[in-house]
Amino acid sequence: MGAPEPMLEVEGLEVRYGTVPAVRGIDLAVGRGEIVGLIGPNGAGKSTTLHAIMGAVRPSAGEIRLAGVSIRGRAPEQVVRAGIALVPEGRRIYAELTVEENLRLGLCGRRARAGAEEAVEGIFELFPVVREARRRQAGLLSGGQQQQLAIGRALVAEPDVLLLDEPSLGLAPAVVDTVFEALRAIRERGVTVLLVEQRAQRTVALADRTYVMSNGELRMTLGPDDAHDTGRMVAAYFGSS
Amino acid sequence: MTEHVQTLLDATALGSIYALMAIGIGLVFGVLRLVNFAYGQLIMAGAYALALTNDRPVLVSIALCFGVILALSLAMEFAAFRPLRRASPTTMLVATFAISYLLQSIALVRFGAIGKIVVVIPELNRSVTIGGLHVRWITIVTILVAIAVFAALTAFLNRTSIGLQMRAASIDSQTARLLGVRANAVITVAVLISGVIAAIVAVILPMAVPERLLVGPDFALRETIIVLVGVVVGGIDRLLSATLGGFTMGFAVGALSGFLPSSGSWPFTSSVYLDSAVFMLVIVVLLLRPEGLFARGRRTAVERV
Amino acid sequence: MRRVTDVVQLLGPVVVLVLVGIVGSMSFVDAALANEFRGALVSVAIVVALYVFVGNSGVISFGHVSFVAVGAFAAGVMTIPVELKPTITPGLFPLLGEHSVGNAASLVLAAAAGGVFALLVGIPLMRLSGLSAGIATFAVLGVTYNILNNWTKIGPGPLTLTTVPETTDLVQATAGAVAVVTIAFLYQRSRLGRKLRAAREDPAAARAAGIDIHRQRLWAFAISGALSGFAGGLFVHHAGTLQARDVYLDLTFLTLAMLVVGSVGSLWGAVVGALAVSALDSFLLDAESGEIGLINDVLGKPLWGGSRLVGVAAFMAIVLVLLPQGLTRGREFRIPGLGRSRRGAQESAA
Repeated sequence: MGAPEPMLEVEGLEVRYGTVPAVRGIDLAVGRGEIVGLIGPNGAGKSTTLHAIMGAVRPSAGEIRLAGVSIRGRAPEQVVRAGIALVPEGRRIYAELTVEENLRLGLCGRRARAGAEEAVEGIFELFPVVREARRRQAGLLSGGQQQQLAIGRALVAEPDVLLLDEPSLGLAPAVVDTVFEALRAIRERGVTVLLVEQRAQRTVALADRTYVMSNGELRMTLGPDDAHDTGRMVAAYFGSS
Repeated sequence: MTEHVQTLLDATALGSIYALMAIGIGLVFGVLRLVNFAYGQLIMAGAYALALTNDRPVLVSIALCFGVILALSLAMEFAAFRPLRRASPTTMLVATFAISYLLQSIALVRFGAIGKIVVVIPELNRSVTIGGLHVRWITIVTILVAIAVFAALTAFLNRTSIGLQMRAASIDSQTARLLGVRANAVITVAVLISGVIAAIVAVILPMAVPERLLVGPDFALRETIIVLVGVVVGGIDRLLSATLGGFTMGFAVGALSGFLPSSGSWPFTSSVYLDSAVFMLVIVVLLLRPEGLFARGRRTAVERV
Repeated sequence: MRRVTDVVQLLGPVVVLVLVGIVGSMSFVDAALANEFRGALVSVAIVVALYVFVGNSGVISFGHVSFVAVGAFAAGVMTIPVELKPTITPGLFPLLGEHSVGNAASLVLAAAAGGVFALLVGIPLMRLSGLSAGIATFAVLGVTYNILNNWTKIGPGPLTLTTVPETTDLVQATAGAVAVVTIAFLYQRSRLGRKLRAAREDPAAARAAGIDIHRQRLWAFAISGALSGFAGGLFVHHAGTLQARDVYLDLTFLTLAMLVVGSVGSLWGAVVGALAVSALDSFLLDAESGEIGLINDVLGKPLWGGSRLVGVAAFMAIVLVLLPQGLTRGREFRIPGLGRSRRGAQESAA
C-alpha cells in the first residue's frame, strides 16, 4: 500500500528575515486527502513555512510544489488561484465588514466562476452559526465564531489544499472541539489539510501524520499512536533529536 | 439675512467640491497608502483640455477632459506609484510633490504663465431666484453632482464585488491578497475612479469659483493643499472621515471669506488673513485630536508622544 | 580609529564646501556664475538646518521655511537704511522703523528670531508624529506666509523688501555653510542628538530608558529653527531683495527635495543633495541663456525657456523613484579603507 500521491510538497525550504534564518531547510509532503499536522514551540518557523507556501514571504532556497507543479515565487493572489487557501493566525477577520461580506471576499480566490452560491450554502451548512450571524458585523462575533468564519472564508474558494495557522489559539476547549470536528468534515469533502498547531496532543491524534518543528528544522515525525506517548511528545518539543 | 444664506449656500458648494477632491485623494490613499500631492495637477490637465477646446462642442470638450485625466492618472500609477509602494511616507509625499512641480513646470513651458479662459456651459452662470435669493445654477448643480457622486460611490463600494475588495484592501491589504484579491486590479480601479472624480471637478471648478475661470499652471494647487489638510484633519484612514474633513475645510473657507470684514490692520481681523484663520483652526484640531476630527478614535496612521 | 572616522565625517563636507567657495572666487568665474556658487552655499545652509530636525527625529516638517522666512525678514528689515524704511516698509512698529543694525548683528538677530519662533511653535506641535506633524507644520508655514505677506507693522507686507545690503559674498556664504554644518555635526554627536535618534529608532525602548521624546524633539526643533533663521539671514543678504513668496512653497519644495534626494538620514546626504540640485539648476539656467556651447551645438539653440524647472523637478522625481533612499543612502562621508565604515544618523546610539 503506497502513500497517497503528494498534493503539496516542500523541499529544502529556507527562509530568512534579514540575516536571521527562520526556516533552515525542511522537507514536507502532504498527500491528497490527508490531514498533516505541523507542531512545535513558538518561534519554530511553522507560520513562516505556511507564509512561504502562500507566497507572502520569499524563500531564500528550496522548492514548493502543488500537484507536481512548482509554485515558488508566485504572488499570494496567484497561489490562491492555484488552489491553496490559508486560514491565517489570529483569524484576521475584517471586523468592520459583515459576516457575509467576509465570506464573499473569500469568493475572490475561486477558480470556477459557477457554483459560488452553492459554495456559500455549503459553508452555512458546515457552520450554522455563520448563517445566523450573516448580517452582523464580524467584529462582534466570539472568538470561536470568528474562527469558523475564517475557515469558511477560506473554504468558499473551494481550494484543493487548506492551510490553517493555529486555529485553536485563544479558544475555549469546547470550541476547539467544534473546530477539530469541522476539520474532519473538511477532510470528508476531499480537501487536503496542513494544520499548524500548538496543541500537540489533539493534532497528533487527529492527523494522519504530524511533523515536529523546532528552531527552523524538522525534528521528527509522529503518528496517531504517539498521541499517548508523553515521553516522545516531550522529547519532540524539547530538542533531543 | 439673505446674504448670510447666500454665503452659506456658496460655502456648501465649495465644501462639496473639496469633498469630491477629498474622495479622489482618499480612495488612492486607502489602497496605496500614498498621498497624491499631484492630484491638483490632474485637475489642471483636464482644465487645460477644456480651455484648449473652447471652440468645440461641449460634449467633445468634456470627453477630452476625461480622456486626458484618465490617461495621465494611469501613467502616474504605472510610472510612479508602483515603484514607490515600498518607500517611506515622507519619500512618497515628497515624490508626489516633485511630480506636481514637474507637471506645473511642463505646463508653464508649454502654455506660459498667463491663464487661459475656460467656458464650459455658460448657461450655468445664470441665476435663479428662489424666495428672495439669487442663486447661480452652478451652485445648485455642484451640490447635486456631489451628492450623486457620493451615492454612486457608496453603492459601488457596498454592493459590488470590486467595491468590497477595495474596502478590504484599504483596511488590510495583506489579508486581502491572501484571500485572492488582485492587488493591481483594485489599485487600478481606485485610480480610475479617482481620475473620473478629478475630471468632474475640472469641469465644475472654473464655473463655480470665480478665480478659477482662468487656467494657469498652478490651477487647483491651493485647493489641493487645503483638501490635503482637510483630509488629514478629518481622518485620512477612512473614506468617510476624509471626505467630511475635505467638506469641512471647504465650507470653513467659504463661510469665513463671506463673514470676515475686508480690511483690518492686525492679523486675523480681516479677510486677507483667511488662510491664517483656517490654518490656526487646523493646528488646534490636530493638537486636540491627531487621529482626525471624524475618526472613530482607534489608533490610526498617526501617533502621539 | 573611531576618532579619525568621526573627524573625517565632519571634515569631508567642510572641505567640499570650502572648495566650492574657493572655486567660486577664482578669476575665471564671472559674476553671474559666482552668484550661483553663493546661492548653492546658502542652499546648503538651509537644507542642513532642516536636516538637523528631520534627519535626527524622523519627523517630517513642512514648515521649516517659516523659520527661514522669519530670519530673512528680521535680518532684511533691520539692515535696510533707516531713511528708506518709510518708503519700503511703511507702517512698521517704531521700534523696528527707527533702528538699523549691521551685518553680523543681523545674522545673530535672524538666528534668534528663528530659534524663538521654533521654540514657541514646537512646544505644542512636538507631541505630534507622522502625517499630522507634517500637516500641522505645513499649517504653520501657511500662517507665517499669510501674515508676512500682509502685516505691514512688521515688514513690507505685500511689497517687496529691497535695498538689503548684499553682504553675503563667497566668504560669508562659505563660512555660514561651514558653521551650520559644524553645529549640525556637533549636535548629532552630542548626547542630545543621540537620545533623539534612539527615540527615532525605537520610541518605546527610548521612553523606557527615561528619554523624554517631546523634550528631545523640541531641542532639535529649536536648534534647527535657529539655524534656519541664520540661513535666512544669509539668504536675504545674498538676494538683496525679498518677498514673502520667495520663502514659501517653492523654497519648501526645493529644500525638502534636496534633502530627500541626498538622503534624509545623513549630514553628508543633506550637503550632497543641496549641491547636486543647485548644480543642476545652474547648469540648466545657463543652458537656457545660451552659455553652454555643447547644448547650443546639439540643439542648434539654447535650451527652451522654462526647461530649468522641468529639469530640476524631473531629476528629483526620477531620483526619488529609482533611489528612494537618496543619493548617499543614509551614509556619512567616509574615505574608503580608512577605519570601519559607518552609517550616518542611522547608526544606533553607540
